[in-house]
This record gives sequence, structure tokens and C-alpha cells, in this order.
Amino acid sequence: MTVTAALTPAASSGSFLITPNVGIMIWTLVLFGVSMYILWRLAFPRISEALDRRQKAIEESIDAAERTRHEADELLSEYRERLGEARGQAQEIIDRARRAAETHERNAQAEAVTRREQLMEQTRRDIESETRRAIEEIRREVADLTVMATEKVTRKTLTTEDQQRLVEEALGELDFAALTPGGES
Amino acid sequence: MSTTRKVLLGIAGFYVFGVVLLLVIYGFSSHKNNEFQIQNEFKLVNWVSLGVLSINRAVLYLFLAAVLTVVTMVYISRRMQARPNRVQTAVEVIFSLMRDNITRGNMPDAMARKWFPFLGSLFLFIWYSNLIGYIPLPTNTEEKFNLFGVHIPSFALYAATANISVPLVLALVVFVSFIWEGIRAQGPIGYVKSLVPRGVHGPMLLLIGPLEVISTFMRLISLTVRLFANILAGHLIILFMSGGLAVILGLQVLGWFTLPAGILVYLFELGLVATLQAFIFATLSAIYLGGSVTTH
Repeated sequence: MTVTAALTPAASSGSFLITPNVGIMIWTLVLFGVSMYILWRLAFPRISEALDRRQKAIEESIDAAERTRHEADELLSEYRERLGEARGQAQEIIDRARRAAETHERNAQAEAVTRREQLMEQTRRDIESETRRAIEEIRREVADLTVMATEKVTRKTLTTEDQQRLVEEALGELDFAALTPGGES
Repeated sequence: MSTTRKVLLGIAGFYVFGVVLLLVIYGFSSHKNNEFQIQNEFKLVNWVSLGVLSINRAVLYLFLAAVLTVVTMVYISRRMQARPNRVQTAVEVIFSLMRDNITRGNMPDAMARKWFPFLGSLFLFIWYSNLIGYIPLPTNTEEKFNLFGVHIPSFALYAATANISVPLVLALVVFVSFIWEGIRAQGPIGYVKSLVPRGVHGPMLLLIGPLEVISTFMRLISLTVRLFANILAGHLIILFMSGGLAVILGLQVLGWFTLPAGILVYLFELGLVATLQAFIFATLSAIYLGGSVTTH
């Protein structure tokens, strides 16, 4: 199709445009037939196969993804369960520790109380014995003094029986009970 | 002003300048040219004389279409990969279109498997023929130009499918195929009966019967003419708009004036009509084939 074709001699009317040409028809049949044969044998099966393979690969990867997701879900729920368990266990441990601590504290307190009481008791006993000893001493002093005083007053040595009697008398007048706490002995 | 606007304004300015320049040089006077016959652009000159099978432009285009179809498809099919590149993706889209839309969409699956190679090849062959028709090739041996002492045939647009013989013989193959399939599926009498819609009886049969038979034969003509006329018309319009009209009327400025229309029609034909006509031809063939095995 050229612009410069103006000089072409007018050769024919346009009827050749719609007149079938047997030669071209045969060429078309042959070339189309050969093309179709080659495409059918060599090209189409490969393309079709590749498309099917891709389709299969896509389906498989979707399946695999689904499986993985499922597994992940399972794993997640398992972890959640385990986490819950662990949390429970931790709570239990804490509770147990708290209980142990409380028991320990209670025990310690009780022990302290006991110990204090023991100490108090000991102290009390000590005080008592000291007091008793002191009273005994005072008593002895009082007896001696009494004897001494009586000897001075009477200018005679007292016999053992007199001494004994005098002391008993003197001591009988003294209220030792006022010296002891609680008024005992 | 954006770059696009500048470019568009530049092109428009160049166009107007060209019109004015040609008017100044040649003036607005027409010298009718009766020697140039536009249909001769489609005339076939035998290059190699082989009797009926003489080789001419149409045969060259058919040969190119066949070779390109086979080479590209086989080449791509051998390099099919799991992760496709753009070319492979395009081929896969076309393949799916041929297999799923054209073939499977119009006939039972067993039949689709059998006829897919034919319908797929038909689509590709026609499509390539149409597309090659928009590449200017040095095929006009009646008009040679001199390039550094070498006489080269003028570059011309031609399409095998713009020659009636090509669509006609392909339509004939389709015609024979669907009648063959119809007779094989339903028997000769059953097939003839299936042409008439069910529920037509008595006198109506005399009216409808012949009409349906004629319409079956008309398929041959409609398939042929639809493809042939569309491609021929497209080429003619491109030819007229790109200078043919100016040559006939001897009005130089007209060639430049109509050139944008020529370019637009060219793009339209290349981008849409070439593919659409191949698709329609293959789809109608599939519909005829599928329809021949089912009663309606």
C-alpha cells in the first residue's frame, strides 16, 4: 500500500478481490494444516501441562497453607492451654509459698511467745528463789541480831533452846509474806 | 503548562504548519487521477510461477503467519516456567481464552478436548495473519524505489485475511467439520431434523425448513465475509486516509490533512479489530460445532 503508487496503470476492476483463488486456498489449507499439526503435537500439550501443573501447585500450596494454619491453630491452643496451666501452677506455688510463709510466721510467733513465757517463767523462778534466799538470809540475820541483842540485854549467854525460842518468837512477829510477790511463803 | 500539553500542542502546531505549507507549495487545485486504482494495492503478482500454486504476496503472508504462529508458540511452550514472565503470562491468558472461553464454553467437554487443537490453531492463525497485515513489508513489486542503487519493492500493508480465498477455505473447513460432527452425533436424517427448531409442524415447516437449511449454508458466507470484509475495509480506510485519497484526487494537502485519521484507524485496527475478528471467527466456529451435536 503505497502513496507513490499513482503511476500504476489501471489494470483491472475490483472483481478479483472477491474471486476465490484456488492456489491460495490450497496454500492456506496446507499451511494451516501444518501449523495446526505442530501446535497440536508440540505447543498445546506443553502449555496445557504447565497450566495444569501450576494449578495443581497453587491448589497444593493452598492446601499446605490451610494445613499449616490448622497446625498453628492447634499449637496456639495448646500453648494457651499450657500457659493457663503454667499460670495455675505459678499461682499454686505462690499460694503454697504464702501459706508456708504464714505457717512459718505463725510458728515463729508461737515459738516467740513460748520462749518469752519460758523466759518470764525462768525469771519469775529466779526472782522467787532469790527472794527466798534473801528472806532466808534476813531471817538468819534477824535471828543472830535477836540473839546478840538478847545477850546484850540479859548479859548472859543463851542456851541453844533459848536461842531457838527467841528466834521463833521474833520471826513469828515479822511478816515475811509481805516481801514475796503474791504473798506466798 | 505540563509536558504532555506541550507535546500535544507541538504536534498540533506541526500538523497545522504542514497543512499551510502544502497549501502554499501546491495550492488548492485538484487534478483527478484516473490511473490509480486503489484495489490494485491488493492485486496479487505471481513472484514464483508454479501453476496453480504460484507464490505471490498472499502466500508469503500465509507463510509468515504459519511460521510465526508455530515458532512463537513452540518456543514459548518449551520455556514454560512455574513463575511466568510477562510474555508467558500473555500466552497463558490467550491459551486460557482459547481453551476455556472459545472451546469449552461452547461445546461439551469431551468434544472440547477433541476440537481444541483445531479451534486454538484457527484463532492463532487468523490472529497472526491479521496482525502481520499491519506491518509494512516491501512487497509491492510493481512499484520499486531506488535506495542507493538497489531497487526495493515499495513497503505496503497487506493481509492474507484481506484476500477472500483465505477466510473462505477456513470457513469451508469449519462448515465441513460441524456438518460432519452433526451427522456423526445424530445421523444424517437426525441432523437435518435438528436444523428445524422443535415445535414447528405442518405448513410452518415448509417455510421454516428451507430457511434453516439456507441459514446453515449462510454461515459459510457470513464467516468468510465477516473476516475478509473487516480486514479489507480496515486496510482500505488506512490506505485512503494515509494518502490514497490525495493521490486519487491529486490534492496534495489532503494527504497530510487525513493522516491523523489514518493513524487512528491503523491503531484501532491493530489494537482491536485484528484480535476481535480472529476471536469472533474462532468463537462462531466453536458455537457451530457445539450446536451441531445438540438438538434445539
